[in-house]
Amino acid sequence: MTYLKEQFDALLEYWPDEDQALRSLRKDAFKHFNKLGFPNKKWEEWKFTNFSGIEKSEYRLSWADDLPQIPSQIPGQISDTHTIFIINGHYQSQLTDIPHGVTVPTGLDHFKSNPDFYALNGSKNPFFALNTSMMNSGVPVMVAPNTIVKKPIQVIYFMTDLSDPLMNHPRYIFEIGENSQVTIIEHYIGISGLPYFVNPVTQATLGQNASLNHIRIQEDDEAGNHTASTHYNLAFDSRLNATGISIGGQLVRHDIQLKFYGDGANATINGLSLTEHNQHHDQHVLVDHQNDACHSRQLFKYILADKSSGVFNGKVIVRKNTKQTDADQSNKNLLLSPTALMNANPQLEIYADDVKCSHGSTTGQIDPEAIFYLCSRGISKRKATELIISGFAKDILDTVNNENVNAYVSDKIENWLERVQSDD
Amino acid sequence: MLEIKNLHAGVAGKKILNGISLTVKPGELHAIMGRNGSGKSTLANVITGRDNYDVMEGTITYNGIDLLEMSTDDRALAGIFMSFQYPVVIPGVNNTYFIRAALNAKLKHKGLKEINAANFMRLIREKLKLVDMDEKYLSRAVNDGFSGGEKKRNEILQMLTLEPTLSILDETDSGLDIDALKIVAEGVNNFRNGERAFLAITHYPRLLEYMHPDYIHVLIDGEFVKSGDRSLAFELEEKGYSWLEK
Repeated sequence: MTYLKEQFDALLEYWPDEDQALRSLRKDAFKHFNKLGFPNKKWEEWKFTNFSGIEKSEYRLSWADDLPQIPSQIPGQISDTHTIFIINGHYQSQLTDIPHGVTVPTGLDHFKSNPDFYALNGSKNPFFALNTSMMNSGVPVMVAPNTIVKKPIQVIYFMTDLSDPLMNHPRYIFEIGENSQVTIIEHYIGISGLPYFVNPVTQATLGQNASLNHIRIQEDDEAGNHTASTHYNLAFDSRLNATGISIGGQLVRHDIQLKFYGDGANATINGLSLTEHNQHHDQHVLVDHQNDACHSRQLFKYILADKSSGVFNGKVIVRKNTKQTDADQSNKNLLLSPTALMNANPQLEIYADDVKCSHGSTTGQIDPEAIFYLCSRGISKRKATELIISGFAKDILDTVNNENVNAYVSDKIENWLERVQSDD
Repeated sequence: MLEIKNLHAGVAGKKILNGISLTVKPGELHAIMGRNGSGKSTLANVITGRDNYDVMEGTITYNGIDLLEMSTDDRALAGIFMSFQYPVVIPGVNNTYFIRAALNAKLKHKGLKEINAANFMRLIREKLKLVDMDEKYLSRAVNDGFSGGEKKRNEILQMLTLEPTLSILDETDSGLDIDALKIVAEGVNNFRNGERAFLAITHYPRLLEYMHPDYIHVLIDGEFVKSGDRSLAFELEEKGYSWLEK
């Protein structure tokens, strides 16, 4: 962990004139992180993931001279979107296109006007504290009230051409004003070969009657480690449709927290995770129903090949004295190899009476009957396997309700399937 | 067309068929009758090449080619089709997409041009009428949320679309009410011609009132104990199977 201390000191030195309040937040957060330490097997919520690789490595922060040559074509850019491009942690304002009704202030400006927003509130997540201590990239995306943003905003975080193992701690703030409607694609891509560590925190706040369609695509390099926290805060009557597609990364941990701050809000959080080789994807979801008549749906699917492993831990809490909660949580996993491993733990904590809740988890292999059925119609075994796997993923893809994004993601899944099958 | 000689076969090490021989010529419909557990489905599974079924002795050739050396999909491409006793649900795979993929695999195998989506829709809607199926089943996932009867119709729909030369109907009549049975039987009857052969496997003689077999074979304990023409079906309906048991 000494490298983190060195890097933290270097950061303070690099920005000696930084805002004093921010500086003291960083120091408090780093102290908080050191108090917590890296998670270990004794931590109930973290026990299936081994973080010693990140702890023992030597990552350094990305500085100005880590900005590589800007690629002539922005990788992963989806057509018909507004693009925000960040490369090795460096925001490229010249390649950024921000629609009317949306502003992208600097992180510092956002902090100055909303310092309380950054409070740690005793968070037990060390990566959240670490991010707060070293936030060095990411952008606030502020959607003004009553704004309908027609085209999706795609934020691309690209890691490439590294001279050393780098780390970054991006902070994204998505603030969706009252009655506004927007699609935001939070996209991580890495082509590095060298190991790196990305530790983003995303805070999405939906104002009253706002609507956010949040698509998170994680295609980090297989040498990359990705630890992320996403916090959703939903006001009265707001609507969230979140879909996460996670394909890359060596070690991936994603903590999703959703809180309802007003009645009548509606949230769908879906995720599809594809793992191969010895990748490890760990997702923890916490949905907190503390208001009336809120509705939450979760569907998380994993497709695991080779020696890869997955963790899904989903918890729904329905607080005392709330009414008409409707919550559903489902986790389905498909193991493509006898050496793939899945740990699933869906949980419900209900302290109210007027609720409708369900949860469940299944893990299985490709049904040989289904393969035989398709082959008996003249379809090859390989094609049959492909059909069945894409069929398994389909209901997650269906929630990506933008045609171009859907096509992009479908393509990625198809490539993944071809790769996994030809590795056999 | 189909030539089975002295077939001894079983599943997971357990021997079920004890020396079966059968010759099926183009245009013929053979009914294979017997109680549950007599080996009828084993025969169908061995012909289509299902995993875990072992042939201990004997041969099966199809148009002179050794069938037992071929994979399931190659057998299908060679013209063999099975209507499943229990059609499999395949979540997320669109029924239309699936049938078109199967037809295109077949067209490609024959060196023909694949059918595009628009032409396929025209074709499948035509076939749909023949089995009196609602169009909504085309947009669903394969057999997902289909009733027992709809699943069987979906099997016949695939048969009519893929146009196999040998169709094995494995208990296609079981679980069907009389109206559905008539529709399914009519679908098969209209599909019959001098080129196409059928193996209808059933334990209910009732099916044969609607489908007219050229030959009937009674299977007991993995052996054909009696073969005859259609009149055998009526005899079985009257007397059951026990008079044929040893």
